[in-house]
Amino acid sequence: MADFSLTTRNEGNIVIIETSGYLNNVGGEQIAEVCYKEIDDGKTLFLLNLEQSKVVNSIGVSILIEIIEKLQDVEGRLGYYNLAPIVEKTFNIMGLTKYSSVYQSEEEALEGMS
Amino acid sequence: MEQPGTEQLEYYLSSLDELGEILIDAQKAQSVGAGILRLTLGTVMASKGAIFLYNKKTDRLSFLSSSSKESPSSITPPKPLIRELIKHRHGHILIEGQKRWITGGLKKYTNKEKIKIITPLFHKNSLLGLLCIGPKFMNEIYSKIDIKILEIISNHLTKALYNYQLIDDVEEKKTELNLKLLELETLFDISVAISSVLDIDQLAEDVLWRSVGILNASRGVILLKKEGSPILDPSSNFNWDESLPLLSSKLGIFQDINENKKGKYLTDEDKSSIQKKLNEKNLIIAPIAVKEKTQGYMMLCNKETRSGVQPFNGLDLDLLTALCNQAAVAMENAKLFKEITKEKQFNESILGSIATGVITIDPLGEIDSINSAGIKILKKEKEEIVGNHYMYLFEKDEDVLELITMSEVEDKVISELNIPFKTVSEETVINISVAPRLDPEGQRQGTVLAIEDISDISKVKSTFKRYVSKQVVDELLDNDAKLNLGGEEREVSILFTDIRGFTSMAEKMTPETVVTTLNEYFSEMIDIVFKYNGTLDKIIGDELMIVYGAPLSAENDTERAVETAIEMQKRIKDLNKQRTNRKEPPIHVGAGINTGTVISGNIGSRDMMDYTVIGDTVNLGARLCSSAKPGEILVSRSVHKTTKLLFNYKKLEPIRVKGKEKKVDLFRVLY
Repeated sequence: MADFSLTTRNEGNIVIIETSGYLNNVGGEQIAEVCYKEIDDGKTLFLLNLEQSKVVNSIGVSILIEIIEKLQDVEGRLGYYNLAPIVEKTFNIMGLTKYSSVYQSEEEALEGMS
Repeated sequence: MEQPGTEQLEYYLSSLDELGEILIDAQKAQSVGAGILRLTLGTVMASKGAIFLYNKKTDRLSFLSSSSKESPSSITPPKPLIRELIKHRHGHILIEGQKRWITGGLKKYTNKEKIKIITPLFHKNSLLGLLCIGPKFMNEIYSKIDIKILEIISNHLTKALYNYQLIDDVEEKKTELNLKLLELETLFDISVAISSVLDIDQLAEDVLWRSVGILNASRGVILLKKEGSPILDPSSNFNWDESLPLLSSKLGIFQDINENKKGKYLTDEDKSSIQKKLNEKNLIIAPIAVKEKTQGYMMLCNKETRSGVQPFNGLDLDLLTALCNQAAVAMENAKLFKEITKEKQFNESILGSIATGVITIDPLGEIDSINSAGIKILKKEKEEIVGNHYMYLFEKDEDVLELITMSEVEDKVISELNIPFKTVSEETVINISVAPRLDPEGQRQGTVLAIEDISDISKVKSTFKRYVSKQVVDELLDNDAKLNLGGEEREVSILFTDIRGFTSMAEKMTPETVVTTLNEYFSEMIDIVFKYNGTLDKIIGDELMIVYGAPLSAENDTERAVETAIEMQKRIKDLNKQRTNRKEPPIHVGAGINTGTVISGNIGSRDMMDYTVIGDTVNLGARLCSSAKPGEILVSRSVHKTTKLLFNYKKLEPIRVKGKEKKVDLFRVLY
């Protein structure tokens, strides 16, 4: 699996972040940086497409928790789709899915976030 | 204590009221800290201040809230300060005159912010933090009421911080428990994978990825040992593909792990060659071992935290070892499955490629497998055979059913050759072997039938056996290479026999007697021909043409031809005694033998073709036979030359034969 990278695009008022690589400290920080900048610009709805990120560690999860907390301050939301089973299980166990939503596809995610 | 004025009292009361609201409304320690600091500074009319949180584990003071924008991230409190704070746990400290225990980073801060009062925030005996207050507005002196108010606020702040700390502790414990749960779930998932994932590469990747994630490693690799090579094979890797150098199992770290049967973690303090080779300081390596035999290793690098990389520890090694143990079992299972599948495919390909039909019957009598040769022999679809009971499948073949029953009853292998197989057709002939089907413990688990369709062989035998002995037929069928039925030149010996005066004799006999006589004669003669492995080429009337050396050659072809002729003559003597007893006229036979080159092969038309020999050698043999008197065996020079040391001969006068310019030499066999 290659080093972490991401791309962003907007679907209406939703920011879609597509990642590739290990969602660890490095990956998490990159996602946070993008999210915080977008939050400062007034965006509140974020979707992560994790299809190309099959492995996540607890540092990556803790950064996602921070992002969720920041979004709660601005009444925003975070959602994910295309999660590998291992990643979904990790999110469930670490409690992420209580404060953010998991969707099966982008279509379902866009509908769920709207 | 001086009495505050009404306005001041109202002000203090409103501050305390606001304090209550802050404590009720705030959801986080940070917002409580900011609110209380603002309230405190406003209440006592101070411009600067800060609230520190004390972390007992790290022995550091960090800012919860500060009026200054440029505050250091954290400060290590001087030991004398801690002692002094404990003394003043229920009060406050005026900085003036107490500066000797304020040193280091804290001194720098208090000097810069001109801190005047430090109020320790103690809950029971635990220091939770500090409330630091700078100079009062217009450098007024802090009154006793100010100090009292500070103490009231700090008590509430302490309670609030304690509660938040409890909540944080609970959250931290919850996270720890979640991480433990994740570890257990990962182990569980791998144990599930043992029975579900049977692809070694996929399994190795799955285990590695889970291990990297659960141990917060930056990257990892599974290195497997290879037969006959010290170089470890990186069968699966995560974030390490390009920079991973060749690693030998002879490296000290791997030798060490093998000897101690225990994994290792390496830190900054270790100076192992693998650290140099990989240019990494923090490594953790655990063996992947089955039954104490190391199959390979899992190696992870760099344990990540929010503040950077830290060394792995014993708990990490325990977890990685548990993961590797699970992985080893899973990978061994996958390996065994692969081997069994390969072996099964190999067996199936053998069964598929052999000409013998193999049919297996389960303990209930149902056919559970058949190879492709079996399907071909039975001339049925596989679906019609498998799942059917053998009693129905072979209902037309009582012999086969009886053999299966016998094998079951006697629990042994039973074979039968050359039996009809009506399951297929009236003409089908098989060799069959019925054997018990045993499990690895040697217990009978059904029956195995091996069926060989010999219908074609039977046809060949029945065709050929009219001309050659069974032994020759078997030899021909056993070794196709020897058989050349196409035209070829070859050296043969040819024996002709003829009943002397049979035509005139037959004229005096009834047709039935002629046939009986000839059948008796031929039956006796052909037995002798086959005894000496002669090929009965033709029966023309009362004449026999026998070839030695075609279609199979032997060194003693000529010798056998002469022996056949001698035994024939002797048998005719015996036969004549029987004929005399039966009041039947005796028969007398003349024989001629020649050796030489002939053309042999299948000669004739497409509809009528016979294997025979032609040429001058044949003709001379026939001429010699014609020249032989009753009871005489005449041979040519070539026969004499080959066998003169074996038989007694008498040279006769050369004779002229048709088609030959010169007279030919001839010899009579003395027997």
